[in-house]
Amino acid sequence: MSAVLVALGFFAGLLGSLTGIGGGVLLSPLLVLYFGVPLRQAIGTSLVAVITTSAASSSIHLQRHTTDIRLGMTLELFTSFGAAVTAYLVGYFNRNTLEAVFASFLLYSAVTILARKGKVKVRDEEDPSPTETVDTAIAPYEPQRYPLGMGASLLAGGLSGLLGIGGGPIKVPVMYLFMNVPLNVATATSNFMIGVTAAASAFVYYRRGDILVHLAATLAVGVFCGSFLGARLAPRIHSKYVVGLLVAVMLYLSGHLFVHLYHGWRP
Amino acid sequence: MSERREPGFDQAVALVLRIGAFAGFLVMLAGLIDGVFVHGQMPLLIEKFGVLIMLATPVVRVFVAGVLFFREKDWRYGWISLALLMILLLGSVFGIGEH
Repeated sequence: MSAVLVALGFFAGLLGSLTGIGGGVLLSPLLVLYFGVPLRQAIGTSLVAVITTSAASSSIHLQRHTTDIRLGMTLELFTSFGAAVTAYLVGYFNRNTLEAVFASFLLYSAVTILARKGKVKVRDEEDPSPTETVDTAIAPYEPQRYPLGMGASLLAGGLSGLLGIGGGPIKVPVMYLFMNVPLNVATATSNFMIGVTAAASAFVYYRRGDILVHLAATLAVGVFCGSFLGARLAPRIHSKYVVGLLVAVMLYLSGHLFVHLYHGWRP
Repeated sequence: MSERREPGFDQAVALVLRIGAFAGFLVMLAGLIDGVFVHGQMPLLIEKFGVLIMLATPVVRVFVAGVLFFREKDWRYGWISLALLMILLLGSVFGIGEH
């Protein structure tokens, strides 16, 4: 049982950090659907995995100097606030509503990834140089439309606290399309923000007893190895197939959640 | 980057995250291995400690970034870090007594 969970965490971490989406979005539905964990505990438990992925992979992004710490920490004010508030409110949410929101978000994320895949590469695939020179690959830019970014961050944070996910599918497009931030910086910065955002809600879940410690530790051990490997492999692997696999898994889980919801509807 | 800063800044923040993630991982792993041989409360306590290290890592990261901002006399981002720290602390305080 433990070995299965470690392996599950490993693959979630690997896939999550290869694609920059984070592992949590896969773990909670897997825990609900195949391990019979109630959704709220599944969310709290996978928050630990989300923090692990963010810490492990953004330490590598930081060393490549693709993270905009100032922009990230400004937006973190809003993601953390949103996350803490919804994490507090989630105790009052109906289980089915939560599951429906989760399934919809999975579907939305899969669609955004598919849409993005057509136009640009999903992750920063350049910068293979091991040299420590400072951001040679990144042209100077000035983030724009801060209010829009802050609003999107509040929304992403709120969803993060509600669903135990990173909110990358909201933050990355907003930073890239509207705030004039290069895509690889947007991805790295979103990843950087996820840890703090998840921590803001994780404390609330922990206090409420919604983090199953043994389960969280078992998964996190696998997630840690998977996300370190993923972040190291990312510049060398063609993400086309990985993204295809991720989208397939997300669509499948979303569909399964909807079916699960349909069979188990108790208003 | 939107504003230039010394490359050491990135390195310091990366180091905090790496140390936290590694420490959390090793302690959780120790708890899991302990659980194979020992039955009782001990393994769970170790695992809980590891989970708490992991949860604390982002908080320490904000704290360290704040100290670095203040040391660079970058007051604006120093205060932003401090405000962020307050939100994180409030989040943990609000959870108390919730069941």
